[in-house]
Amino acid sequence: MEVKELIGTIELPDLGLFLPELIVLITAFVLFTLDLALSPARKRLLLPSISAIGYVSAFISLFLTGGMTGDTFYRTFTKDTLGTLIKIFEVLITIGVLAFANRYFRHRRSLYGEFYYMLAFTLLASMILVSSYNLIVIYVALEFVSIGFYILTALMRGSFIAKEGAYKYLILGGLSIALASYGAVFMYIYAGSIDLREILTYRGQDHHYLILGIVLFLIGFAIKIGAVPFHFWLPDAYQGAPTPITAFMASVGKMAFFVPVVRIMPLIGEKFSFAWMITVGVIAAVTMLYGNIVALVQKDIKRLLAYSSIAHSGYILAGVAVTETIGLKAVIYFLIAYGVMSAGAFLAVALLERSGGWENTIAEFSGLRFSAPYLAFSFMIFMFALLGVPPTVGFVGKTLVFMALSYDKLWWLALIIILSTAISTGYYVRLVVLMYMKDREKEVSVRERSYLETASLAVLTLLTILLAVFPSAIWELISPSAEILFQR
Amino acid sequence: MEIIEAPFPFVTLSIAVPALFALGVLYLSQKHVKILGVLGSLITFFISLIVLYLFDYSRAGSVQFYEEYLILEELGVKLSLGIDGLSLIMYLLTTLVSLVAILWSIRDHQISTRLREYFFAFLLSESFLIGVFTSFDLIVFFVFYELTLLPMFFAIGIWGYKLRLYSAYKFFIYIFVSSLFLLLGVATAVVLNYQKTGSFSFSYFDLLKADFSGTAGLLLFVLFFIAFAVKTPLVPFHTWLPDAHGEAPTAGSVVLAAILLKMGTYALVRFNIGLFPEATLKLMPYLVSIGIITILYASWMTIVQNNVKRFVAYSSVSHMGFIVTAMFLLNREGMKASVIEMFAHGMTSASLFMIAGFIYNRLHTFNMNSLRGSVKFMPLFAVIVALTAFASMGLPGGSSFWGKFLTVLSAKEYGTKLALLVLGGAFFSAAYVLYMLKTLFLDVREESILIHFTDIRGYKLLSFLLLLIPILLIGFFPHLFFGMFVEATDLILKRFINLG
Repeated sequence: MEVKELIGTIELPDLGLFLPELIVLITAFVLFTLDLALSPARKRLLLPSISAIGYVSAFISLFLTGGMTGDTFYRTFTKDTLGTLIKIFEVLITIGVLAFANRYFRHRRSLYGEFYYMLAFTLLASMILVSSYNLIVIYVALEFVSIGFYILTALMRGSFIAKEGAYKYLILGGLSIALASYGAVFMYIYAGSIDLREILTYRGQDHHYLILGIVLFLIGFAIKIGAVPFHFWLPDAYQGAPTPITAFMASVGKMAFFVPVVRIMPLIGEKFSFAWMITVGVIAAVTMLYGNIVALVQKDIKRLLAYSSIAHSGYILAGVAVTETIGLKAVIYFLIAYGVMSAGAFLAVALLERSGGWENTIAEFSGLRFSAPYLAFSFMIFMFALLGVPPTVGFVGKTLVFMALSYDKLWWLALIIILSTAISTGYYVRLVVLMYMKDREKEVSVRERSYLETASLAVLTLLTILLAVFPSAIWELISPSAEILFQR
Repeated sequence: MEIIEAPFPFVTLSIAVPALFALGVLYLSQKHVKILGVLGSLITFFISLIVLYLFDYSRAGSVQFYEEYLILEELGVKLSLGIDGLSLIMYLLTTLVSLVAILWSIRDHQISTRLREYFFAFLLSESFLIGVFTSFDLIVFFVFYELTLLPMFFAIGIWGYKLRLYSAYKFFIYIFVSSLFLLLGVATAVVLNYQKTGSFSFSYFDLLKADFSGTAGLLLFVLFFIAFAVKTPLVPFHTWLPDAHGEAPTAGSVVLAAILLKMGTYALVRFNIGLFPEATLKLMPYLVSIGIITILYASWMTIVQNNVKRFVAYSSVSHMGFIVTAMFLLNREGMKASVIEMFAHGMTSASLFMIAGFIYNRLHTFNMNSLRGSVKFMPLFAVIVALTAFASMGLPGGSSFWGKFLTVLSAKEYGTKLALLVLGGAFFSAAYVLYMLKTLFLDVREESILIHFTDIRGYKLLSFLLLLIPILLIGFFPHLFFGMFVEATDLILKRFINLG
């Protein structure tokens, strides 16, 4: 091939499609450089503000480029409605997390510059992860997000729990990436392509490689989303990580890791749909039962929320089992719902941790209503949302999953959801009872609460209710994104 | 079902007014809390009286004052509110009893702390309850149905007696978990309808047109029934009720017994019988037997109770048994009996719980043995107790007479044996009421404590009067009430005629 021809085949990337990621990328590099160059006193002011400016402009650019869809970078990067929707919430929640970071780390006396650029890089990676069909890009982004999470988890260098959590996460995370990439290899052998759309629409003779590939790929992702029996890292990592990071991992991380699975859903043909339904359904059932039963006996609030996160992976997976548009819509809604409510719950805990002598035990929530009424109220809203009490997003999510399950006549799974929700009533309601109906055992006073923190919690609380009461606002994005995926 | 648009959004208004006052109570100063609380429920009561006046009784079967606001177009979720004859009587019950409960709370000694939250909870619960009885969209109905749980959960847990936390937990878990079945049922009904018609709709009117027959109908009936049977409660599922009542503050018990339980029976008539006639007909013998078992079992349990609030709670269960038995007899008399008894039991049970609360304020105990002869030096109160008790027993002229009499009458259509069984239930309910009256009036005890008791007066007297007037009205002029709802229930029964 002549050089001229080679140059002729180069297509210029459509940066408009990549604009939000580009902004986050630039922010990340600027933060990285400034962290090396500046003095500590300046860093404290500049790094958060630059991050905030970067994220906010990425958020705005997501809306500006919202209507644009298409592939770029030689079809390795796809911008579609689903990606945009998830990215909107990823960036929004990251902004919320950022509001908490500064004071939290200063309280723990470990404010390091790497927090800011690692947060930016991880956000970037999770934005790329949700917008690609290319196995190589998915692999790279998956690795990228995970490395970010390992480092962020271990940010408290002195803490034993943090190191333990990060180490466990590193080992199981490495395994998951290995499995996912191995699965990708088999899919490539089957179809001779690394594009998921082509692989799953390819009509080959030998399905064994495809099945093996999908199974390994899914196990890789199942580890990342904390599905039982691949969940062992999750409670330790969630407990060990600094709480704002836990909020970030639970919400943004879960959304990012679920989306590639969601993208496979519509491509599962008639041939596999039964096997898919059974496999995913069983994993979902086991996951939600296990998560809820173990959460019931937890004494540490972060571990409790971590097990509730496992249980929610189960609920979302129940929607994944239904490979129809309604199932896809339920999954997308539930993902966003879970992102909002888990971020809120963990961030509320992050705020409480700043109160003197707070040890993250559940008993300390006694009488919280008297010492911090507004915080207790928003925490109660998050608990009710996680439980699925109307009118919160958790309730709408469960309703949609029920609708999806009855669409495919998966009654047994629906009954297991009811059973595990019944189990979960025990611990969510216990927290509400402690906060509102018991007398306080100890004075809780959060020192120097900043307006940004309050605002961020208030926004998340409002979103928890408003996205349920006025669902049409995000439904206009969910509905087309699910239907476009099915058109292929 | 015919729909008549609202000339003015009365229903929205009566949902919004208590909710707005609830917010006002929360943010205004402690001093005005009680005034605001009473004002909120009073205004709502007046709105309901206006609705009662404007309601077109010649078309009581159609849904009047109908409003519709779109929530989610693709899934067909609409906030559709309206009032037909059946809703009207429950709506009236809600506004009346909420007013009574709030009037009672003004002078209740149990309520001394966290007043704002208390009135906030009760006003909100009024708002949600009106939502339950007026929504004609299944998911909106479910949201209100579930929301009513929260204020009562807090009322029991915060202002209750000794075992309040245990009872609050139990209440929450029973109701919440059982209503998950309802949620699954609603989702399934909608999806099944979608698979037939190709469009999602949660609207009651659209689902009425859908034909849920065979296994699907049975499955849906059972899913709906579990939720409502726990709420009502029917016998194997009733154990949360005595605990909740035993520990709830008086006003909480009043709202719980008078309105919250009626949500279950109202929904059974509206949804189970209304939407799944074929399944209802098939399961009818079992349902009637569950009802009769509830009557008998709860009556026996009532007689042995030592705590007067648990006593009234069990008597409530047995009355709910009457309501359920009557409705599943599936004839005109039975339906009339069922709905009139819902209203009547609302009045008498509220009054009985207030009697228990009143005596507690004087004697500081719920123990039956300590209550012996306690009304002796309070003549006015004694009259109220006697009137309520006889009305609850089913003496002619009292409110429960029509419920019990018509149930027996409609059971007679299916044979004398069944009628005798129901009559047996009525006999036991007379037995426990007489036992209560004997304890309060005739048993002797040392009079030195009793002599200092002041008689009932003020707000408390007013709240009793508000209940006694309808009790006597139903007793002497039942047709005033039958006229409200008979057309609506006839419309529901009409679907059975085609089935044979």
